[in-house]
Amino acid sequence: MYAFEIERPTSLSDAVSALKAEGAQALGGGQTLIPSLKARLAMPEVLVSLSAIDEIKGICTDDEGRICIGGGTPHGRVAAELKDSYPALASLAARIGDPAVRNRGTIGGSLANNDPSACWPAAALASDAVIKTDRREIAADDFFAGLFETVLEEGEIVTEVRFPVPQAANYQKFAQPASRFALVGVFVAKYEAGVRVAVTGASESGVFRWTEAEEKLSSDFSAAALEGLSHAAEGMIGDLHGTPAYRAHLIGVLTKRAVAAAG
Amino acid sequence: MSVATPLPHDSAPLHVTGRARYVDDIPAPAGTLHLAFGLSPIARGRIKAMDLAAVRAAPGVVRVLTREDLPNACDTSPSAHDEPLLAEGEVFYAGQAVFLVIATSHLAARKAARLGKVEYEEMEPLLSYDETLAAGAEFEAEPRVWQKGDAGAAIAAAPRRLTGRIEIGGQEHFYLEGQAALAIPDDGGAMHVVTSTQHPTEIQHKVADALGLPMAMVRSECRRMGGGFGGKESQGNALAVACAVAAKLTGRACKMRYDRDDDMVITGKRHDFRIDYDVGYDDGGRIAGIDFTQVTRGGWSMDLTLPVADRAMLHADNAYHLPACRITSHRLRTNMCSATAYRGFGGPQGVLGIERMMDEIAHVLGIDPVEVRRVNYYADCAGGGGGGGPSAPRSAAPSPPERYLEQDRSPGSGHAMSGALAGAGKRFGAEHSPVARPVEPQTTPYGMEVKDFLLNGMTAKLLADCDYAGRRAAIRAWNERSPILKRGIGFSPVKFGISFTLTHLNQAGALVHVYQDGSIHLNHGGTEMGQGLFQKVAQVAAARFGVDVAQVRITATDTAKVPNTSATAASSGTDLNGMAAMAACDAIRERMAECLAGLHQAKPEAVVFEGGEVRVGEAAMSFAQAATLCYENRVSLSATGFYRTPDLAWDRIRGQGRPFFYFAHGCAVTEVAIDTLTGENRILRADILHDVGASLNPAIDRGQIEGGYVQGAGWLTTEELVWDDKGRLRTHAPSTYKIPACSDRPPVFNVELWDGENPEATIYRSKAVGEPPFMLGISAFLALSDACAACGPHYPALDAPATAERVLAAVKRARG
Amino acid sequence: MHTQLDVNGRAYALDHDPRTTLLDALRDHIGLYGTKKGCDHGQCGACTVLVNGRRINSCLTLAAMHDGDEITTVEGLGEPGALAPLQQAFVDCDGYQCGYCTPGQIMSATGMLEEAKAGDPSHVSASLSGDVALDDSEIAERMSGNLCRCSAYPFIRQAIHSVEGKE
Repeated sequence: MYAFEIERPTSLSDAVSALKAEGAQALGGGQTLIPSLKARLAMPEVLVSLSAIDEIKGICTDDEGRICIGGGTPHGRVAAELKDSYPALASLAARIGDPAVRNRGTIGGSLANNDPSACWPAAALASDAVIKTDRREIAADDFFAGLFETVLEEGEIVTEVRFPVPQAANYQKFAQPASRFALVGVFVAKYEAGVRVAVTGASESGVFRWTEAEEKLSSDFSAAALEGLSHAAEGMIGDLHGTPAYRAHLIGVLTKRAVAAAG
Repeated sequence: MSVATPLPHDSAPLHVTGRARYVDDIPAPAGTLHLAFGLSPIARGRIKAMDLAAVRAAPGVVRVLTREDLPNACDTSPSAHDEPLLAEGEVFYAGQAVFLVIATSHLAARKAARLGKVEYEEMEPLLSYDETLAAGAEFEAEPRVWQKGDAGAAIAAAPRRLTGRIEIGGQEHFYLEGQAALAIPDDGGAMHVVTSTQHPTEIQHKVADALGLPMAMVRSECRRMGGGFGGKESQGNALAVACAVAAKLTGRACKMRYDRDDDMVITGKRHDFRIDYDVGYDDGGRIAGIDFTQVTRGGWSMDLTLPVADRAMLHADNAYHLPACRITSHRLRTNMCSATAYRGFGGPQGVLGIERMMDEIAHVLGIDPVEVRRVNYYADCAGGGGGGGPSAPRSAAPSPPERYLEQDRSPGSGHAMSGALAGAGKRFGAEHSPVARPVEPQTTPYGMEVKDFLLNGMTAKLLADCDYAGRRAAIRAWNERSPILKRGIGFSPVKFGISFTLTHLNQAGALVHVYQDGSIHLNHGGTEMGQGLFQKVAQVAAARFGVDVAQVRITATDTAKVPNTSATAASSGTDLNGMAAMAACDAIRERMAECLAGLHQAKPEAVVFEGGEVRVGEAAMSFAQAATLCYENRVSLSATGFYRTPDLAWDRIRGQGRPFFYFAHGCAVTEVAIDTLTGENRILRADILHDVGASLNPAIDRGQIEGGYVQGAGWLTTEELVWDDKGRLRTHAPSTYKIPACSDRPPVFNVELWDGENPEATIYRSKAVGEPPFMLGISAFLALSDACAACGPHYPALDAPATAERVLAAVKRARG
Repeated sequence: MHTQLDVNGRAYALDHDPRTTLLDALRDHIGLYGTKKGCDHGQCGACTVLVNGRRINSCLTLAAMHDGDEITTVEGLGEPGALAPLQQAFVDCDGYQCGYCTPGQIMSATGMLEEAKAGDPSHVSASLSGDVALDDSEIAERMSGNLCRCSAYPFIRQAIHSVEGKE
């Protein structure tokens, strides 16, 4: 790793101040950032650890019935606490990495990083979630801006993510067996306003909504409604884990299965 | 009695409390320096310029060495002396060491290494099978060809014929403990090296050569490895030599370990293979003749490619009698890491070649794949074992194993043995009675008689016990009703030859001390990598003295105690070192018996060592008291032991002789499920019946069988190595290379040991168990093929590893 | 920088580079070699320790992030002659071969048993709510982050089972 200093603020306002420094970067659970630092893919001058800030941890429900997850909440906690209120989300969290990773990795860190194979972006996008930061609120549809890119500004911290609870939802993940990242992951959520289908792991542009599938499912929420619909291979990731054609094929298969499992 | 007892691996309390030390845990002397290599990023090229100024100036750096700074090439090869420690003007693979950094910390060394600026004139690397064959880049002047009968004529005359090809991937060892070495300079230029290695003697040899020292001035040790699997047979040489050279130059202790990514890039892998088959057979599936072409990519240097490729040829027959056979083997030199030893050592690849062929024959004929196997099995044979057949003359003087057999068979013998071994040995399981007994034993393609073939009986037992027929029928019915998920069931047998094919390696030594307080110090040339060798040999020593195994102190493998040892490899560690230890123990025991007999006016044969006691006539004493008494009577209580495997004779050019002392057998039935929409697959159940002779330690043997199966299944399913078109390894971390995890082993996993004895005089009539079970994983691959075949009329022609995407492709091929 | 680590009930004052991982701090600064470095990228689990009772990969966290946390390594669970029940179970069941992954397996299993007691579900849990019944497939899934190349998995699972009280 390149040299850096590290700060460990205990309040959000201290963290915001610390992140104003030149070359400062937020550190969540570290499950992605620390390997990146070791590989010298990131070179911050100051790491601002958010792990001691209690006010951004925790899960609750707001007045509109949305589930609010603090940005510093580890996946393991989401898996344990949401099993009744939003089971698809709990199930997604329970399958990230492995148990030790889930004890450290946070939702805020995952969304801010926007790894094209991460699971949380699919959940946020499919749930029409609202990402709350230290300075504003951003709709999920506006949040993701491409591979490893979001609209977050320098030093902006994800403090909370608010998920409207759907009528039905399911997350299907075809894991890359070694890393357990999503080779392709599809999150389907049915709301009164319509069905949303978010796909991760597949596209060179990162997480996206499969609008053709959404249209079909909004009028008929069944796997049969997707018969004959497939996703193009163009623009899909091709790497040592799978060809673009394979990923495109999996999008179709997993979307149908998500719909069938959502019930 | 300690043999045939399920004792745990040694050092249990140390392992579970984190106190068991591996090389990197050893408290190093003050001032120890740390080493790191600067590696070539390209697969083939000439070094035009090397600017290491920034490396030398980096914090913590003490010295930076290139080839010019070394006294000689400091070769690290186990064979052809074609591996200079540092590149000599040219690089031959991406990952080759070009310079060596010596620094005050591990991190400082690695960071400094990144600062090297090396300019290369890039050349075209040879990577693929076809381009390398076309270029004629092979390790031997001609391909190796072995023949039995006239395969061409037999194939042409046969009623049916088919040709096919299978591509077989390599495998990364992924020992949890990476490569590591520590060198400490001794007085007068001598050097002490501690390495995570299966071959301390080779470390000693290579270090001595590099330093220009006689071997007696180098001491090489290993207490334990955190996994080896063949990956530490030769690949530790580079670290040990680097550390020794650096230690000599600096006068300080030097330590080196590879970071995991570096380890995966630098070190060799299992040889990948491409095997073509051309077979003539009849309507019953009986083989008339086969023509195999085996091609393997050996990487940039020879390393162990010749014996690996030889062993692939030696196992091209697996369990089947081939009336006529021709095997052509090409050993390709490619610009990749040097493929090396790995559990099975070419055997699994050869076996998979014929198993795939059998699978295809069964498909064409529409018959149960098991029947094709059985109809081609070697026949059981009357009279086997006990010292070699007509092809190898009996040795003149009785070697230790024969002598102990004579003694142990006589009633009232002074040497107590475990109940299971007293009296005449059992030859086969009680329910097995061989049906056809030809007068002349059948021979393998290389002319070795197959005199103790167990698979007819083992197959019958396994198939019955696991209800193969019933389940196969049930799976077919289930598949009819299941459009998306398909199940498959596969059976594979293995007959694996035990001994080093390089005959002179089949030797071992031991050193045993009985101290005057009765405690026992045991040392031998075998190394412990988790296979339980140390415990098994300790059990033998304890059995010879009639004491509890806790009284035997297991000590680090050390060239200063036992010289000229072979690698712990070829599954032979227990066989060879157990016999050597036994010889040493027996020598001491005989002296003790003679002394005590003399003191009690008795015959030495009447002295009994049992239950921690020694009894002579009416007198009884503890083993400790006996030791004290012998010491006071000036009896030497220390002895060396030696063993050499008898009756081996092997001509590797002609491909004729007896390369193996005996065969170990096993068979497995695996059931899998596949998702025909994604290719995802899962192993549901495995049933294994394995032949370990008379087991020295059933718990350790079971662990080897289970571990071998899982590792073999991993090799053929998820463990995919990927190189890019520039020859760089892309799968160089556990995030991209998937080895089996806890959730990957089959939920139903039944393992049984075949009840029998080794007819050959091995240590307590046991059989080697390290490698043979690895090939049982082939049944998982065949089960996947069966599941794919359930999708359509065509043969799926599945290649290995059967990743999800490959399974999906095979499903499509089956459908047509 | 300075960090105070509480390891196995003892306080250690470390003066270290901010980049020092918890794993390197334990091994190189404090001299506790029981925790192993298998891959240094959080993929193999050999470096598993407990932080405030929760299992984590110590290579994927910085020492500086744990000032004031309670850290337990394998040395803190028990000693030869005074083994913790899980350690004894690994001995009794021969739950290891080469032993290198063993400290990580034991620490991970310790954390895992606590998670199950707290009712945390896993991916294979029949339902995501309710008590956790630690059958074989649950144990296998919950231990899937700890690689064992020797594949001593069957005996590892047996050892964990035996402590859980379910065979």
